[in-house]
Amino acid sequence: MGKINSSQLAAAAGVLLLAVWPLIFRNQVQFHQVLGMTCLYAILALAWNIYALSGAISLGHTAFFGLGAYASALLNHHYHWSPLCTMPLGALAAVVFAVFWSLGFRRLRGVYLGLASLAAVEIPKTIVDNWDQLTYGSMGIVGLDRLPTLTIGGVEMDFGLNVTAQYYLLLGIMLLALLLHWKCIRSRWGWTLRVIRENETAAAALGIDSNRERAKALMLSSYLAGIAGALYAHIMGLVEPALVFNLHLSVLPLVFSIFGGSTMVFGPVLGALILYPLEQLFLMPLFPMGHSALYGLVIILTIFFFPKGIAAWLPAPPKSV
Amino acid sequence: MWVGTPVIFTGLSLGSFYALIALGFSLILGIARAFNLAHGEMILLSGYLAFVLWHYFQVPFVFILLICSLVLVWVTIPLNYLLRRLPEPYGLNTLIVTLGLALLLQNLFLAWFSADYRLMTPAWPMVNVPWLNFSFPLHQGVLIVLALLVTGAVHLLLQGTFLGKALRATIQDREAAQMAGINVQRLSLAAFGLGGLLIGLAGPLFAQNMYLYPAAGVEATMIAIVVTIFAGLGRIRNILLGGWLLGLTQSATIFALGSRWRELVSAVLLLLLLYFRPQGFSLKKEG
Repeated sequence: MGKINSSQLAAAAGVLLLAVWPLIFRNQVQFHQVLGMTCLYAILALAWNIYALSGAISLGHTAFFGLGAYASALLNHHYHWSPLCTMPLGALAAVVFAVFWSLGFRRLRGVYLGLASLAAVEIPKTIVDNWDQLTYGSMGIVGLDRLPTLTIGGVEMDFGLNVTAQYYLLLGIMLLALLLHWKCIRSRWGWTLRVIRENETAAAALGIDSNRERAKALMLSSYLAGIAGALYAHIMGLVEPALVFNLHLSVLPLVFSIFGGSTMVFGPVLGALILYPLEQLFLMPLFPMGHSALYGLVIILTIFFFPKGIAAWLPAPPKSV
Repeated sequence: MWVGTPVIFTGLSLGSFYALIALGFSLILGIARAFNLAHGEMILLSGYLAFVLWHYFQVPFVFILLICSLVLVWVTIPLNYLLRRLPEPYGLNTLIVTLGLALLLQNLFLAWFSADYRLMTPAWPMVNVPWLNFSFPLHQGVLIVLALLVTGAVHLLLQGTFLGKALRATIQDREAAQMAGINVQRLSLAAFGLGGLLIGLAGPLFAQNMYLYPAAGVEATMIAIVVTIFAGLGRIRNILLGGWLLGLTQSATIFALGSRWRELVSAVLLLLLLYFRPQGFSLKKEG
């Protein structure tokens, strides 16, 4: 680690702020809930960005989110396993899809990969939508177990119904995902991915198997996205195909990452922390219909005016590519 | 009546409609190199306009087609100027920006028209074909005729005029066309203008053949992409062929498996096309 620089200090302050504010504003339950969901979508954005490090722009991460949600929900519904066990297992369904994705799309790059990922969502979506015996089709599954109540350090935390406890759980998982993201960017493997992004021929000349490395990135990414989906299913207590296989969920991580700065460790989280509360707390009361237009507008403005994201404006930009 | 007749007829009419959807996308992509993921939403915009004109003002259908085409030109031309300013990588950036535009439009539709399903249902007469003992609503026949007329017109424009020659040159090799003194920026404008006309034309047809709802555009975009990749850029006749094939496949799928699997057809076809032609739209083999 060595010397602590100003950006690390700012990050520590940010994390502290996120951890402490619910204790000060104890009664703002709505804020706790919205910030909790912000952390959930930040996990999805971090997942998306791990794949994007290799230069791949995915327009289909909702497939992983939905598969994670459905696999966890099915295990919980049919076998009555605890969410603690179904969530990590269910997210593996997303990894299985990622394997097929990596095999099927290994020759695709750039725009074509984006188009293929957009179309790939239809496959799990249509199957889940039509396999009535297993998934109850478009009706979805209701009455899933909520997140369990655990006693941590003598404090009983009801993650299922107490939104403040839920917020801390999601914040904790988000910080773990952030740590993983940081490790990905700062490791030798992170550089491998960036070499692939910048120049695949050069990567091959260095002995990098770009398909294999990109597939690894996707598997990590899909597992995280699957976890986010599984968490969502048990927070809501229900899953529906239209709810978890939704273009909106593919666009959100893209907007958060690019707006926040997809080359920065904190970029995706920053994007989520700014945009999602803005939409939910400020725009939703003003425009009950169509408040998600914000994301469309933001991504257009970002690409035109600050394609590196707002993290590029930070006073001491972390040394990253 | 043979059981296959309505399946084939519906497939052909659906396919003609798909060809009309894909034409604008294909021209804009071929000439301006812009991936317009908001294509379907623009068709919806035109469709909603048609619905308003039909429902509240009782405008005759021919005039609706005319008005929608002209209005949509004024939507696509500003898009041309907007996309022209994009930084590199151009293709990927157009994809992201138009995805944002699609989301923006979807939410505007949601705010203006709510999430209700709407359908334009003008009273079209039934047409009877006595020797096949088969009758169909006239608007399905109109689709086939219109698709033939429009693709014919675009084909003639590309093959028979000087502008068309310049457009084809731009589609085939943008840099070479530029070196030959062709103003590719002005041709992009022409492509977006023409694309706008075609999108405007597709809107009212969408409104009376498929349901209008805010998220309906995604499927139209997907169809445009599938047909365009199948056809290859600048192959106008192939677009008609691709549209028909897709329409017939969907129609047969609905007949065999039920309408719930229809949406999967275009997605699977797209994935297959991309798997076997990873270079996507380009005519020449790369590498």
